[in-house]
Amino acid sequence: MQKSTSLRPADWVNRLIDWIDERVGIREIVAYSVHVTIPRTAHTYYLGGITLFFFMVQAITGILLALYYHPTPADAYDSILFIMNEVNFGWLIRSIHSWSANLMIVFCVLHLLRVAVQGAYRPPREMTWLVGIGLLLITLGFGFTGYLLPWDERAFWAPTVGTQIAGAVPLIGNYVQDFLRGGPDLGALTLSRFFDVHVLVLPVALIGALLIHILFIHQQGLADPEEREEYDG
Amino acid sequence: MTENSAISDAMSRRGFLKWALGFSVVATVVGAVVPVIGYLWPPTRRSAAGGGRVLFGSVKDLPVGQAKVLPVNDKPVIVVNTSAGGVKAFSAICTHLGCVVEWNQSKQFILCPCHDGRFNPTTGAVISGPPPSPLPSVRVAVEKDQIFVGGA
Repeated sequence: MQKSTSLRPADWVNRLIDWIDERVGIREIVAYSVHVTIPRTAHTYYLGGITLFFFMVQAITGILLALYYHPTPADAYDSILFIMNEVNFGWLIRSIHSWSANLMIVFCVLHLLRVAVQGAYRPPREMTWLVGIGLLLITLGFGFTGYLLPWDERAFWAPTVGTQIAGAVPLIGNYVQDFLRGGPDLGALTLSRFFDVHVLVLPVALIGALLIHILFIHQQGLADPEEREEYDG
Repeated sequence: MTENSAISDAMSRRGFLKWALGFSVVATVVGAVVPVIGYLWPPTRRSAAGGGRVLFGSVKDLPVGQAKVLPVNDKPVIVVNTSAGGVKAFSAICTHLGCVVEWNQSKQFILCPCHDGRFNPTTGAVISGPPPSPLPSVRVAVEKDQIFVGGA
């Protein structure tokens, strides 16, 4: 029965972990990160985790796409064609990024519905809910900015309409629209702006909000839908 | 002990499931890592893969007195539209130390920027500078305003 021990870490791995643990207490950090209180009745608590999985897929495939994508009006569409036709597995990476983007939004909304239906947003978990709404808005922001980047007809007109909707806001609408577009019309500045937001601003915002979201979950444990929690705020 | 050893001889249910789990994990990781490595690998240029000739473009894109450098079969080639001899093509690798030559628009000759080697754009012969031999000419064909470069 020698084989049964093969899954355990080797002795030198344990000693390495011990060495790190003595200095920064890594075992405590890992134990805190891994262990969350989950009610025995939980059956629908995987939706947020699936959303997180799709975000990780988006991060990896997005980094890969940025290797060959050019965010300029002259080159954007040609670079998409290059990724799809010339780059090895380029069609696969781009298609995964596209599908995973849609599925991330789907599971984000399902996660929200689950929390809403089971009333898991109630005290003391209002802050987790609010940060979660922020995460949904950031995710939709990813979808909106990413839609422009292929720079084909559909990519051009969807953000045109989207920014026009912002332009319909009373009083400040025109300023908001110009701010979003980087000028009165959709053009090179809009593409730069959307690309910048898509690959720099939103990833940082999402990772930051995600850490807060998960920290709250770890601090409170997950809500038990079977139990009416009484909380005197 | 005899019972245990009898089980471990043939593949037990537990052993099979462990093997299947390990196989699934390895297959999943390989299935994810192989496309990523393939993606990161520099893409091949199909136009230069077969050793055949390459479509440079239209004559209209290359007025008389202008030149462009393009890769043909992974080697740089300079295509010149000379006033005297029509469209000419030469290896763009300087015969001196292997720098890629460029076109001098104002003085109308092929210039190696490294050591000021100068070549005649019609014949490829050395005008001045350190290059020991002329630039080898490359086959060029003009068919219906389309310029094809390279090939046998």
